[in-house]
Amino acid sequence: MNFLRQLRGELRKLFGRRRTYIGYGVFLVMELIILFVFKLERSQRGMRELIERNGFGFDDYYSSLTITYWVMGFSMFLLGSIYFALVAGDIVAKESEDGNLRLVLARPVSRLRILLLKYAAIAIYTVSFVIFVGITGYAMSVAALGWDGGLFVWNYKMKVFAVFPDWGSGIARIGLAAVGIGISMITLSSIAFMFSCFKMKPAAATIMALSILFVDLVLQEFPFFKPYEQYFITWRMSSWVYLLENTISWPKLAMSYGFLFGLNATLFLIGYTAFRLRDFKT
Amino acid sequence: MLTVTGLCKSFGGKPALHDVSFKVERGEIHGLLGHNGAGKSTTLGIILGMVEPDGGEASIGGISVQRDHAEAMRQVGAIFESPAFFEYLSGWENLRILSEFSGPFKERATRKIVERVGLTKHINNKVGTYSHGMRQRLALAQALLPEPKVLLLDEPTNGLDPEGIKWFRDFILNLREERGITVLFNSHLLAEVEQMCDRVTILREGRLVHDGTLKSLQDEAPVYEATLEPWDEARDFLVLNGARILAPGRIALPPDADPAIIVAALVGSGIRVSAFAPVRRSLEDLYLEITAKPSKEEALPFLPVA
Repeated sequence: MNFLRQLRGELRKLFGRRRTYIGYGVFLVMELIILFVFKLERSQRGMRELIERNGFGFDDYYSSLTITYWVMGFSMFLLGSIYFALVAGDIVAKESEDGNLRLVLARPVSRLRILLLKYAAIAIYTVSFVIFVGITGYAMSVAALGWDGGLFVWNYKMKVFAVFPDWGSGIARIGLAAVGIGISMITLSSIAFMFSCFKMKPAAATIMALSILFVDLVLQEFPFFKPYEQYFITWRMSSWVYLLENTISWPKLAMSYGFLFGLNATLFLIGYTAFRLRDFKT
Repeated sequence: MLTVTGLCKSFGGKPALHDVSFKVERGEIHGLLGHNGAGKSTTLGIILGMVEPDGGEASIGGISVQRDHAEAMRQVGAIFESPAFFEYLSGWENLRILSEFSGPFKERATRKIVERVGLTKHINNKVGTYSHGMRQRLALAQALLPEPKVLLLDEPTNGLDPEGIKWFRDFILNLREERGITVLFNSHLLAEVEQMCDRVTILREGRLVHDGTLKSLQDEAPVYEATLEPWDEARDFLVLNGARILAPGRIALPPDADPAIIVAALVGSGIRVSAFAPVRRSLEDLYLEITAKPSKEEALPFLPVA
C-alpha cells in the first residue's frame, strides 16, 4: 500500500514536469503530417502496389488500422526512443543534480525502494506513451479514412506478413501490439535509467542511452553481424511484430521478451549498485 | 540520542574525516562548527546515511544509521541549506510526496504544521514562486511532518534576512521547549550558535578539535595578554612550557596551567613582566583560534609547566 502511495507521488512528479509532455506534442504533430502524406495520391501509390502485389484489395486494407500500424511501428524506434531516453535519463540524475534526492534520502526509505519506484514510474510512462500514440494515431486515421477496413501487416526485417480482414481481430491485434511495443521500449528506458543512476548529468545519461540504441541499430545492418542478429537489443525489441502474425508464435515471443526481461533486470542491478555506492553530499 | 563514533571518510584518497566522535544528548541543541571543508557536511551526510563512512558509525536513538537506515531515519527530520523542492509542484504537493516516504499522509497534521510555519496562504502556490524564506519555512514543515525526535539542520539560516533568522531561532527554541526535540545544528553564523546551542563540536581539517559547552571552550585554553621583555626569550620559555603564542604578547596557556606559577617562573628566568592579564574572548575569537591551521609551534605537545 505504501509502495502504491509512493508510486503515485513519483508519477505526480514525472507528469508534473513540462518536458515529460514534449514527446506527446511532437507525436501528435508527426501523426498529423503522416496522415496528410498518406492522403496524397503519390504516397498511396506505394501502398497500393504493396497491398495489390500480395493479392489483396487496396480499398479493403488501406485503412485506419493499417495506418496506425505504420505510425506506431516505424516512428517509435527513431522518434519515441528520444523521449524515453530523455525522461528515463532524467529520473535519477536530474533529482540528484537539483538536490531533490537529499530530501528523499533523509526519509525512512531504502535506496532500493527509491529506485524501484522510479523504475516503475518510467515503465508506466513508456507503456502509456506507446498506447497514447496508438490511440491518437488511430483516432486521427479514423477521422481521415473512416473506421472500417482490415489490417495489413508487412515487416521485411522480421519476416512477418499478415492480414486481418475483419475490424474486430485487427483492432485487437493493434492493441496487443501497442502493449508489446511499450514493453519492448522499456529496455531503452532501462538503459537510460541505468546511466541516470551513475554520477552524471541527465543529458549525458540520455545521450549514452541513445548512442547504445543507434550503435546497435547500425551494427545490426552490417552483413557480418547477420548471423548474430538475435543477440542485438534492437532486434529483440522488434519482436513485438510477432504479435501481429496470423498465428502468434508464442515461443519466439517468450524467447525475445525473456531476453529483454533479463537485460532489463541486469541494467537495473547495475544502476542500483552504482546508486547504492554513491555518496550524496551537500 | 545521537552518537557518532570514530567516523573516518576519504574522498578520492583525500581524508575528509578522521576519527570523529561526539554525542548529542536528548533535548540538547548542539552546534557543529568548522571552516568550509572541515568535514561538517560529511558528518551530517553520514548521520543521514547519504555518505558511507570508511570507518565508524552514527546512531540515532541507539539505532545504527549504517545498519538500519530506514529505522534510524524514522526519528529524524532534516533541513538543508537551499532546500531543493520540486519547483513545478505546489508546496502542499511537495509536502504530500515527501511525507508519504515516512508513512500515510496526514492532512490535518499537515495543515497544522503549515499554519505554524506561516505558509497557509501560499501552500497551494508552486514552489518556484517562493522566496528563500518561504522555502526555508516549507523545509521546516517537511522536516517536522514525521514528528521527529531529532532535527538535523545544515546551515538552515543561510541567506535569510535578520527577521527570518530571528523567526527561525525562536521557532527552534520553542520546539525544544514544547517537545524536547534534539537538534544538531551546522552553521557558520557564530552569533546564532552562541544564542541557540548548549554544546558545540568544532572540526578542523576533518579532526575534532573541541567538543563541549561554549564555556568549556573558553576555559580550555585561557588566553593572556602580556608585556614581557625581552620578548624572544620569553616566547621560547613559554613555548617550551606548553603555551601557544597566538601573536606577540598574546599567549594561550594549557588548561591546567596556573598563571601565577608561570609569571613567577618567567620572573625567575630574568624576564621582566610588566603585564600578564586574562583576555575575555568572544566566540568568534575562540572559533578563529581553534580552527586556525596549526603552526609548527602549536604542533608541539603541551608540557607541564615547571
